[in-house]
Amino acid sequence: MAFPLPRGITPSEIGFLAEMEMVTVVPRQRLEGLELLGGPIEPLVPPRRASLPLWLALLLKRQRRANIMPPSWLHPEPLNLILEVESQHPDYRDAFSPPPPLPGQPSIRDDGLAPTARPQYTPDGNRYYASPPFLPQNTAQTEGFSSRDPPALPFHWVEMGNMLLESASDDLVEPDQIRRLLKDLREVRLAKMRAGTDVLDAAATGGGGVALTGVGAMEVGEERGFLTGVVDNLRKIGASKEQARREQMAEQRANGGYDGAQDEEEEDYMEF
Amino acid sequence: MDIDDILASVDHGPGASPESTSLDHQSLTRFWVSERAVSEVLPWPTALMDRMMDRVRMQIESIEDIAASSADAPPPTTHNQNANANHNPNLNLRLSILQTDLARTQYIIRSLLRTRLAKLTKYSMHYLVKLSSTNQILSQSQSQSQSQSQPTPEDSVPDISAIASFDPLSESEASFVHAHQKLLASHYSGSFMGAFPRQLRRLDDNAGGTSMIQGPETREVVFVRCLGAAVPVLVVGEGDQEEDIGVTMRMGDVWVVRWEGVKAAWLKGEVELL
Repeated sequence: MAFPLPRGITPSEIGFLAEMEMVTVVPRQRLEGLELLGGPIEPLVPPRRASLPLWLALLLKRQRRANIMPPSWLHPEPLNLILEVESQHPDYRDAFSPPPPLPGQPSIRDDGLAPTARPQYTPDGNRYYASPPFLPQNTAQTEGFSSRDPPALPFHWVEMGNMLLESASDDLVEPDQIRRLLKDLREVRLAKMRAGTDVLDAAATGGGGVALTGVGAMEVGEERGFLTGVVDNLRKIGASKEQARREQMAEQRANGGYDGAQDEEEEDYMEF
Repeated sequence: MDIDDILASVDHGPGASPESTSLDHQSLTRFWVSERAVSEVLPWPTALMDRMMDRVRMQIESIEDIAASSADAPPPTTHNQNANANHNPNLNLRLSILQTDLARTQYIIRSLLRTRLAKLTKYSMHYLVKLSSTNQILSQSQSQSQSQSQPTPEDSVPDISAIASFDPLSESEASFVHAHQKLLASHYSGSFMGAFPRQLRRLDDNAGGTSMIQGPETREVVFVRCLGAAVPVLVVGEGDQEEDIGVTMRMGDVWVVRWEGVKAAWLKGEVELL
């Protein structure tokens, strides 16, 4: 067997991805800059702060060569705030709390502004939009995001929280309280994920989908097998219905009428 | 040294800048996650993979250089070794960082290649037919005429020796999948298919309107994040024809949708697979 793992990255690989997130460290010793395959590393000069990928920060932390500054969201107050939104706010009763905005995306406060995606260009001339884990969502001061943005859980919050609690709990503010808050958050969000299985039928139709905005990487990883299994089976059950609908649409098109198809699409749109 | 090496070294010019190093790393990571997320083989990013393989090779060389210089430098006495350690205390640390970084990149590349190999062996006939049908009708008609005179399972393996484009595979993947299918066909013929009636010996039979070649399921759902300002999910009908537009995803949204509906947007880089 060339490759035994199932479709979709596994939880340990999600952890591997989370280790590419940049964190802020305070070095305890000098280290010259390095040219890594993942990009250059800035020289470490104590006590100046530096941004390093998490795997390197943890490597230095274990050897007591650096301290990790906790990400701006990994403090008791912001976590409390997010937990409140997640469990009490009427708008987010069935949805996850909003994720940190992507570059160019208007923050939740100035709603109504049109998003302007700002692509970079790869050496091959393709457009490239940065996304987690390659955005500074876990640095101590989140540069690039204005400070008036409400706190938000980054994409890799479960892994980041767990890894920092495990290896760098002495760098965190009140680690026990953080651990408790993270556990509460996980339970609240897991319940939402489970409640959302009711609307999965929408994802089983062509052109339809189910929104999971704000979901975390590990939460996707946990639910992937179950969710894709359910949706694929729903798709197979509804295959003949879809075929009939397609034929009906083709007939309508032949008659020059489009109207019937439009209404059905409205029904496909469902918020999780 | 042949012309390809010279071209590769010229290509390296812009690829050597630090921004493109991290950009390539990010693209490779994203491509790996995507390849793991869908059941079909994605188009092989030739230029990106060439640059990455070059970088990996150069990084291995520089690690060996550093390791060799640290091994050569200290004369055999322990006293001098300590002196050397004091002189450059970070050498071991630097080496271990470089090696960890290398191992992480190699892990991604290995996992990526193995995922593709697994898909290729699973749907080998599908990809061979796809390769030969997009490239040349000529080679297929040849194999057809041969098979009529002397039908064996090997004859139903399309000949890909004359094709020019390997999309979506890389060249070595194409030759692998061809060799694989040839072996498989001759094994089948040797073990049981040789005893079959002549008309039942083909591996690409589509009698009764049902093709016996299995392809990947493009209607499976995937998790995507919308990166462009607004990306519509397409309704794809029979024969990969775009029929209609479904829901529209907004920037930053995460959706569970059918892969066929967002594949076009993925090719443009406007959505990312999770």
